[in-house]
Amino acid sequence: MTRSDTALTQERIPDDAFAAMRRDNLARWPTGAAVDLAEAVAFHQALPEHKRLAPVMRRAVAEGRCLTQPRGGVGTLEGQKALMRTLDRDGMADIVPLTTDSYTRNERFAEAEAGVAESERQGRSMLNGFPIVNYGVAAARELVAEVEKPTILLTGTSMPKLTGEIGFAGGFSGYLGSGIAYTVSYIKELSIEDGIRNYQYLDRLAALYQEHGVELHRRQPGFLTGTNIPPCIAIMTCVLDALLAAAQGVRNYGLELGQCLHVVQDAAAIAACRELVQEYLGRLGYTDVFTPVTSLHWMGAWPYDDAQSAALVSWGGALAALGGAASVTTKSVHEAYGIPTAEANAEGLRMTRMAIYLARSLRLDGLPEYEREKAQIHAEVRPIIDRVLELGDGDVARGTVRAFEAGVLDIPWSPNRHVRGRLLPARDDAGYLRILDPGDMPFPAEVREYHAERLRDRAAHEGVDFDSPELAIASVYEISEELRRLLPDARSA
Amino acid sequence: MGGQTLVTGVIGSDTHIVGNRILNIGLEKAGYQIVALGALTPAEEFVDAAIETAADAILVSSLYGQGELDCRGFRDLCVEAGIGDILLYIGGNLVVGKQSWESVEQRFLDMGFDRAFPPGTRPEDVVAALEADFARRGAGGRGD
Repeated sequence: MTRSDTALTQERIPDDAFAAMRRDNLARWPTGAAVDLAEAVAFHQALPEHKRLAPVMRRAVAEGRCLTQPRGGVGTLEGQKALMRTLDRDGMADIVPLTTDSYTRNERFAEAEAGVAESERQGRSMLNGFPIVNYGVAAARELVAEVEKPTILLTGTSMPKLTGEIGFAGGFSGYLGSGIAYTVSYIKELSIEDGIRNYQYLDRLAALYQEHGVELHRRQPGFLTGTNIPPCIAIMTCVLDALLAAAQGVRNYGLELGQCLHVVQDAAAIAACRELVQEYLGRLGYTDVFTPVTSLHWMGAWPYDDAQSAALVSWGGALAALGGAASVTTKSVHEAYGIPTAEANAEGLRMTRMAIYLARSLRLDGLPEYEREKAQIHAEVRPIIDRVLELGDGDVARGTVRAFEAGVLDIPWSPNRHVRGRLLPARDDAGYLRILDPGDMPFPAEVREYHAERLRDRAAHEGVDFDSPELAIASVYEISEELRRLLPDARSA
Repeated sequence: MGGQTLVTGVIGSDTHIVGNRILNIGLEKAGYQIVALGALTPAEEFVDAAIETAADAILVSSLYGQGELDCRGFRDLCVEAGIGDILLYIGGNLVVGKQSWESVEQRFLDMGFDRAFPPGTRPEDVVAALEADFARRGAGGRGD
């Protein structure tokens, strides 16, 4: 029996059905044959604790530390080794990544194979990441052996089944991605239902390792489309994806939030995310899920000026540290140009690290504006999540699918056809991200009014039409604007 | 000016849709008919859509660095499909890593694109280029 014959449900995939799904999955590409669960479990158990991400994340939270982690992937094995070494040694990365290329993300393994050949022929990476499925388990282990840190897979995909199998068997102990968040942000045709099913597989796989005594770190990418995501939207997907993962048996589940770049809003978002995810996990009976929050450097468009970018990198380290994030995912001054060199990437890590050091003792707790913003986020998230659970008659998976169909859940700037994409965010005068047009999301009237009022103020100040997408579009470009437009010098102002 | 039909989309395995959406809004405002294929669009789909809608130009976006692989043979596809002289634009982050724009632009012009636009290009710049190219073509054939 294949799973897709059965109706979508949040229920844990039964053992026998999962064994059959794994056999089918591993047969899809030749390197799948090298995956052996018992042997992979032994490999993880032989890794020292400092190379396993699950305990490293637990320790960071216990010690109140903010760990650093970059992104990074290139098209060849030797290139990837060198990159990971540089990030570990020169960048002092606390967590070392492997980013897969976009062909792998879309399971176009034959095209990835051609990209590898072409990269080797040209002597430069023609792929924007490492095609781990093509290289297979043994190569993955060579990469893990290259660094003295835990490793995480960054795969930007709604189809993680084979990448996850190869990566976990290869000794990677973290995997970023989730059924809702990545399906709404990284693919056009795949339905929300299929995206959820694909990640139920990955979560069930992580739980299978757990059953064999290996705790892996799963992580949810709440940054979504990366473009001006208001905290409440990101946190809703964190809550729902966490509930789906917990149902499959995951117990170490990170939550990511892209930075809004407003110090109060970002700190409030990190705290609210932690609280709301635990609140709903508890309500559904999951009382032992560890959910550290990761803050992400600006995910929208970056400036083309290295100096401006350096400010964003450093500011991002401070935002993560004073918001109390367990880790921060870093960018570099090359961000506007695409993929950074290993050296620029390592420099971004160190800039961030210095900022974390400087901000280490700062907290906003008790500050009225912070407390108000946190309460506001709670008031935005709860009515929507409650409606989603209602729509699913208690089943999170079904409720989520129905909520997207009905526009109860919406994601700004989504490429996915199954998302309405009517909700439009924009930045207000004070620098908070607000909701310009809520689309069909059933926010309470006072929430709508709170957002509208602040953006009406900006529209009035700038003399633009509040009822057009103008503020939303200006907000997409804003952070990448030249400094002389953002903040002219005092003489020319 | 305006009135022509333009096919737009993001090529290959690339999901970066935001700039492309904003471009569509700007092009529509300038009076063009837009056939928006969205993210993750194979080269063949651009060409098919251009034939189906008798489009006057194809505007390809690529933001993720693999555009160089995705766009190889794009002009040949058009030639084979019988629309060999359609106006072809490309824009975005077209290659992996920081490379000089002049060399990147030349590479894409050599591949048969009429114009290549660097990252950060605004809709107004594209409209101005379209107007110039359509005017030149209207006044007596292709500009190249």
